[in-house]
Amino acid sequence: MQRQGFIDRLKAIVGDDYVIAHPEDLLVYEYDGSVDRAMPRAVVLPASAGEVSRTLALAYQEGVPVVGRGSGTGLSGGALAPPGGIQIAFTRMNRILEVDTENRTATIEPGVINLDLDNHVRKFGMRYAPDPSSQKACSLGGNIAENAGGPHCLAYGATTNHVLALEVALEDGTMVNLGGPAREVPGYDLRGVFVGSEGTFGIATQITVRLLPLPETVKTFLGIFPDIESACSAVSAVIGHGIVPAALEMIDALSIRAVQQVTDAGYPEDAGAVLLIELEGLWEEVDEVSREVESALWETGAGEVRVAEEDRERERLWLGRKTAFGAFGAIAPNYYLVDGVVPRTRLSQVLRKVSEVSEKYGIIIANVFHAGDGNLHPCMLFDGREPGVTERAMAGAAELMEYCVAVGGTLSGEHGIGLEKKQFMPLVFTDADLAVMRRTRDAFAPANRLNPGKIFPDDDGFYQIVPQPTPPPGDTGMYV
Amino acid sequence: MTEPIAQQLADLLGRDTVLMPDGAGGAANTPELEKYAVDGLAPQVVVQPTDRESIARLMQWAAARQVAVLPRGGGVLSALGNRPAQVDVALDLSRYNRVLDYQPADLTVTVEPGVTLQTLSRELARGGKFVPLESPLSHRATLGGILAANASGPLRHAYGLARDWLIGISVVGADGVETKAGGKVVKNVTGYDLNKLYTGSLGTLGVIVEASFKLAPLMDEWAALAAPFPSMDAAIAAGRSLIAQVYAPQGLQVVNRPAARRLNLTADSAAGAYVLALFAGRPRAVGRRREESARLLGQSGATAVESLDGAAGQALLRQVTDLGWSDDTIPALGMRVNLPPTAVGQLVAAIVGESAGESGAELGLVADLGFGVAHLLRWPETFDQAAAGNEEPAGDAVIAGSLSEIERMQALARSMGGTVVVEHCAPAVKARIDVWGGAATEAELEIMRRIKQNFDPLGLLNPGRFMGRL
Ligand SMILES: Cc1cc2nc3c(=O)[nH]c(=O)nc-3n(C[C@H](O)[C@H](O)[C@H](O)COP(=O)(O)OP(=O)(O)OC[C@H]3O[C@@H](n4cnc5c(N)ncnc54)[C@H](O)[C@@H]3O)c2cc1C
Repeated sequence: MQRQGFIDRLKAIVGDDYVIAHPEDLLVYEYDGSVDRAMPRAVVLPASAGEVSRTLALAYQEGVPVVGRGSGTGLSGGALAPPGGIQIAFTRMNRILEVDTENRTATIEPGVINLDLDNHVRKFGMRYAPDPSSQKACSLGGNIAENAGGPHCLAYGATTNHVLALEVALEDGTMVNLGGPAREVPGYDLRGVFVGSEGTFGIATQITVRLLPLPETVKTFLGIFPDIESACSAVSAVIGHGIVPAALEMIDALSIRAVQQVTDAGYPEDAGAVLLIELEGLWEEVDEVSREVESALWETGAGEVRVAEEDRERERLWLGRKTAFGAFGAIAPNYYLVDGVVPRTRLSQVLRKVSEVSEKYGIIIANVFHAGDGNLHPCMLFDGREPGVTERAMAGAAELMEYCVAVGGTLSGEHGIGLEKKQFMPLVFTDADLAVMRRTRDAFAPANRLNPGKIFPDDDGFYQIVPQPTPPPGDTGMYV
Repeated sequence: MTEPIAQQLADLLGRDTVLMPDGAGGAANTPELEKYAVDGLAPQVVVQPTDRESIARLMQWAAARQVAVLPRGGGVLSALGNRPAQVDVALDLSRYNRVLDYQPADLTVTVEPGVTLQTLSRELARGGKFVPLESPLSHRATLGGILAANASGPLRHAYGLARDWLIGISVVGADGVETKAGGKVVKNVTGYDLNKLYTGSLGTLGVIVEASFKLAPLMDEWAALAAPFPSMDAAIAAGRSLIAQVYAPQGLQVVNRPAARRLNLTADSAAGAYVLALFAGRPRAVGRRREESARLLGQSGATAVESLDGAAGQALLRQVTDLGWSDDTIPALGMRVNLPPTAVGQLVAAIVGESAGESGAELGLVADLGFGVAHLLRWPETFDQAAAGNEEPAGDAVIAGSLSEIERMQALARSMGGTVVVEHCAPAVKARIDVWGGAATEAELEIMRRIKQNFDPLGLLNPGRFMGRL
């Protein structure tokens, strides 16, 4: 009776068609890109900030926890609702509201897809730099919550370096604007600390981001190496040379073979690793740095170096990188992705550890990752139907995370802590460190009604672990 | 009253750590303590720790006695903020100043807060790296101070602010407990990004005891252009068209005549304004940027285009950053206006338009057209000139003139989506204003208040100085 009443009141806010409450209809909202599952009580699809605010106010009164949901591509369980909780999904709030070409900013609703924004502003000679590999599907609201990164964040920084202003609904429905149109805003940097707060501080209802002008010249290099060790020393050589490329990505042997099975990316079957390096800037800059990159690749043992300047050719060099995730489907039906970051000089050491873990737990692990900033993505591939294998994969992942921390790195470079990594937080942070983070959350959400149960290790877990299926082979919709 | 606190701290932390008033009586007035005064309020004692355990013990001691602690680095920017509500202990961090962990190959560095920007930059240069932070008086400004005050300079257009380079931080809280956030890797979403919260918080949330930064490769080449224009309008128009080009400089400032005079820019004595363009990077790219920029400035009405290489370019950069903070350029009134980049031109136009007969003619103006910030400076003698015609004594002229100027600027900035921070003013002016003047909405302030309350419930860290008198 009371339950029905709540749903009806939600419908009164957004309209009958925009509250999903039937169990079958809720199935797609039960998961995101992670291994966790949880069924929301209802999903609300608001059309405006006002509706978001009223939904929150109602849920607050009723003591119902609320979780924002963008596209559900998150890899740490961030968008999953706690028992009895509702999701606010932003599928309908997906308008690009304004592009200011002179100040180089865009103002958008949170449901706008990352790539749609980038494509749109390219018409004006600009770009939105943070480009998560999931950019064809993920939303800006999700990007803000996770502080998403991507291949080109090496040179341009992650989402947080590009957010100017946020309109936010707090847990009780109060609206507040954080930041503003100016790059510098006095006072505590509320918009800065909001980015990466994983939906626990507030719900972003409008976002203003900074845009960058398109570079004059873009040049892409593909270095083919006999083994992963030499590819790692190439990464160190490039960075050590004082070069910070726009992107610096690595693909290991296993991934190369998987890619070649579903598409011809032009990789030699016997390659041990491939490095993809992109330079951007003035023609003179790119030209000068190109030579240094090329010689660094040769000096560290590349067997072949391919170069492309023209768009079509460059896309061809990226093809393998972008197909790898889709190709994993041919190897195993399920995956689990680790997101550790380490100092760049530790890459080869950590990749050796990845091989050891693969042996030890009997799990295939493929590596396709953002090498330039030391952000690994060991992708554990397995068949979840096999008894005990999911647990083994998780144990292997735990060992890898521990190792990343031990060599001076940390748990997550871009996917967030969410549910999935919260029990590992004590590897990095003391109780006192976590207490300060809680104090910060309590300033935004004193009642802890937004996305409760995430990030902090001692908050209850109430989620079921179900392995995530790998995408159909050949899928290039998203890559990792 | 004074002796006991100093004595207690000497017992707690050792005599070497505490700047003791020499002699018993009249200690609060000793010249040593006066050097640490903020807005005329001298501390009762100065603590100069060289390790973080002492900082933690000091904070525990202060919390137990409700003693206010004012952290400071080189004291360069210690005039920022409202008048403190209470001043007991000055915590001078300039001796806690080691570079702890420099990893050139990883492009990261970790430092103690008291290291100066100049010292750090020199050390980094030895390993071929560079931290793109700027501050007035970089030989005195400490990294802790730069973070707390969110200091920046003309390269902010290309390199952003301290928040964009800080990757990890450790802080001793108001309860004396040390905590950390972030780490030593360049990309990190493990836990909330408290780096952002501490940056620009003016020491009101904790004492920064360690900071890690990501680094950039050292620039091979520096250069600058200084181009005089007949009027401010012409300079702004040229600057705006330059900043939109692919070959745009890394930093672009427009300075008006009074500011140009302070910067000793002399290429054209009749100039109404100068465009200053700063370049850094690879030699050939710097070469092209400079050439094409010079051509564009020439075509846009510059009466001359003076080209400065390496050292001269960097010296100009330093001079612009120091303007208003070096001894001979300290203004009676200094304001920083944060705006969307295009609004800078509008603001300047509004000021110049109004100023014909009025005080505005003597208002020094340095505008960063790429990033969107303008510094407005009035030096003492300009108030006196304005006051010469009337009977008011000079001091009152400064006060009245400052108050009306601040009000005018706040209204202008607000109408353009910007904010004003008063960085310099006479103590009598500060007593009457909020230097952060309405820069945040009530809803934002409410969150800020809760943050302060949760971090420093007794209000002992730099009390009263921050926005909302937090
Ligand atoms: C194949 C693949 C590749 C990927 N590659 C990358 C990559 O390169 N870089 C990277 O960083 N990530 C990557 N990801 C992870 C994921 O795409 C990002 O975390 C993305 O930002 C999530 O966006 P979303 O819209 O799907 O958010 P969701 O998964 O729906 O939600 C993520 C979090 O955001 C919160 N949230 C959503 N909208 C709002 C809002 N309006 N206000 C407040 N909180 C909100 C949710 O509550 C949740 O906590 C990848 C994922 C996949 C599946």
